[in-house]
Amino acid sequence: MTIVETQNLVKRYGDLVALDHLSLEVKEGEIFGLLGPNGSGKSTSLNCILSLLSFDKGEVKIFGKTMKPDAYSIKRNIGIVMQNVAVFDELTVYENIDYFCSLYVPDKKQRKQLVDEAIDFVELGEFRKFYPKKLSGGLLRRLNIACGIAHQPKLIILDEPTVAVDPQSRNKILEGIKQLHKQGATIIYTSHYMEEVEQICTQIVIIDKGRVIASGTKEELKAMISMGEKITVETFSISSDQMTALRRLPGVITAEYADERLVIKSEKETNNLAAVLDFFKNESITFGRIYSELPTLNDVFLEITGKQLRD
Amino acid sequence: MFLQLFRYRLKCLLRDRLLIFWTLVFPILLGTFFNMAFMNLNNDEKFEPISAALVTGGGANDAIFEQTVHQMSLGKDRLFNLKTTASKHQADQWLKKGKIKGYFTDGPLIRLYVQETGISQSIMKTFADHYRQNSSAFADIAKANPEAIQKGLLDDLSQQRNSVKEVNTGGAKPNNVLNYFYTLIAMACLYGSFWGNKEVCDTQADLSSRAARLNLAPVHKLKLFLAGCCADLLIIYGEILILLAFLHFILGIDFGTRTGLVLLTAWIGSMLGLTFGTFVSAITRKGENLKFAVLTAVTMAGCFLAGMMIGDMKYLVAEYVPALAWLNPANLLTDAFYSLYYYDSLNRYLINLAMIAVFTIVFGFGTYLMIRRRKYANL
Ligand SMILES: Nc1ncnc2c1ncn2[C@@H]1O[C@H](COP(=O)(O)OP(=O)(O)OP(=O)(O)O)[C@@H](O)[C@H]1O
Ligand SMILES: [Mg+2]
Repeated sequence: MTIVETQNLVKRYGDLVALDHLSLEVKEGEIFGLLGPNGSGKSTSLNCILSLLSFDKGEVKIFGKTMKPDAYSIKRNIGIVMQNVAVFDELTVYENIDYFCSLYVPDKKQRKQLVDEAIDFVELGEFRKFYPKKLSGGLLRRLNIACGIAHQPKLIILDEPTVAVDPQSRNKILEGIKQLHKQGATIIYTSHYMEEVEQICTQIVIIDKGRVIASGTKEELKAMISMGEKITVETFSISSDQMTALRRLPGVITAEYADERLVIKSEKETNNLAAVLDFFKNESITFGRIYSELPTLNDVFLEITGKQLRD
Repeated sequence: MFLQLFRYRLKCLLRDRLLIFWTLVFPILLGTFFNMAFMNLNNDEKFEPISAALVTGGGANDAIFEQTVHQMSLGKDRLFNLKTTASKHQADQWLKKGKIKGYFTDGPLIRLYVQETGISQSIMKTFADHYRQNSSAFADIAKANPEAIQKGLLDDLSQQRNSVKEVNTGGAKPNNVLNYFYTLIAMACLYGSFWGNKEVCDTQADLSSRAARLNLAPVHKLKLFLAGCCADLLIIYGEILILLAFLHFILGIDFGTRTGLVLLTAWIGSMLGLTFGTFVSAITRKGENLKFAVLTAVTMAGCFLAGMMIGDMKYLVAEYVPALAWLNPANLLTDAFYSLYYYDSLNRYLINLAMIAVFTIVFGFGTYLMIRRRKYANL
């Protein structure tokens, strides 16, 4: 079943086209990753989907129904964690979660249990009575998440929930999202960290300048590009003749040398590591570490757009 | 649901220390400060006995007048510092040298001689008039209770001045000091706008991320807003009541006898402040500081024109730019309190109240028009 569907969304800010005929489809049970660099239109697309932003063209359906600001039956089943922390400084951790939950679940008794579960979920038990000002950045993010998901919605939308969070908190958050997924929620997750998206998302859409540039599972995405292997060699010097020779090796797509690092990208199933090692031995080039990697989503992005995902 | 929203909002607002300071503590501090300033003013204006002289002649009729004048020149609260002489020439000398403000001569017709006009001379004249009109009763009172005459004379004088002023400017002026405190209440009401501003900032998705988040909840935006406004109003009204109680019971400020109407005025004033805040906040651009600055500036300008810093300002405005007096919410509120205190008739009060209501409705409706939209072009 399709949970969220957008068709040809166009959103302009004056002359700037923030969303350019963006079409997305999120199926039930997915962890749907929206990956894109800063300013690519991730938040804009979420806000349009949620009917918070007006858009110039297109259509948004959630749970099969057209999304509108007063579509409360839809909204009741959505949990939102916005990019900017949105909590009340004047309310404690517990009160904040309870307040946001009360907008969805009027019944007090039922709510109490939900709030307690949410607090356990983000592990803020010992901070119940704290005011947000007293929380560290990571804890605040966790509070923000708890406020968004306490009512146990079917669809959870998270806009870069791990921005400016230390690795430990980040892992907790990612584990939590996986857990929510296991409990049956469909999740839309935006990020500009490809590692995160690779780690948790079952379906990934890469966007740039408001346009979808690739979509699929991470395996499908990686299969899309010609590169199959990336070999990095640390070496102090290499001549341009040697570089030319390297580039002539079978299967090599590119070879670049910069900052005492040589990066060789090869086509799929070429297994060039042995060949590269032989080359260095024959040419008597001294080298430090040498390692081979499979392509990342960054490479996918790089190959499609010609630029790095993170500048 | 509404109650739940209201309760949480109330909790939120009551914990906003900064706003509580500006809307409650600050007016009280300012009131205390006013009180200190005016206490000195009142001391300065405390009645000083008038230097006067009596030229004695000696007839039977005159004896009573002499006695009365002497009565009025005894004790701590005396009306006159009296010199007596039998020689009119001597009295003239004193008058010329400025040793006395005037002198009485008795005889079949009591005469008052003065060199210039002023308050002391007026008092002397009124004294003589009163005596002439009802000499025997006056003499009796003077014997029994000289202070009563002094007070009566001063009151008479002030009322005369009032009636003159009344004709000139259409505004009473006998008690400037009260007006200062009434402008202070008007200021406190209009500072209630800070709460309205906060409400709008927490409602409009393009003003804060909290508001954006709340806009995504399955609750009608106006419902949230109204619940918040109810909480705001309760707080503003509570604060104004505390201020009124402080002014009345601690500083002894008089609000007249119509307590019910004073409380009603405070309520309407609270509504005015709230809607003023929501309106300004809804029509100004992004930036909470800007909104705060606009609200403060408008309020202070209004209070200035209503006579908060310079008492005569109110009358100058009323005289030269009457329209401004009617379009200044601070002045309307001040004048409403003043009318309740000063006039027997409610006409003037009701006009003020009606104008305040018009402002409140305009602000309220304007706010509604601005915030009813549910989708934003920009965040
Ligand atoms: N209110 C606005 N007015 C004008 N331009 C805007 C506005 N909001 C966003 N933009 C522009 O729209 C584009 C998309 O912005 P958006 O916030 O959706 O990006 P994003 O992918 O969420 O980026 P980030 O990773 O930084 O959150 C950007 O170029 C941004 O500059
Ligand atoms: Mg964003």
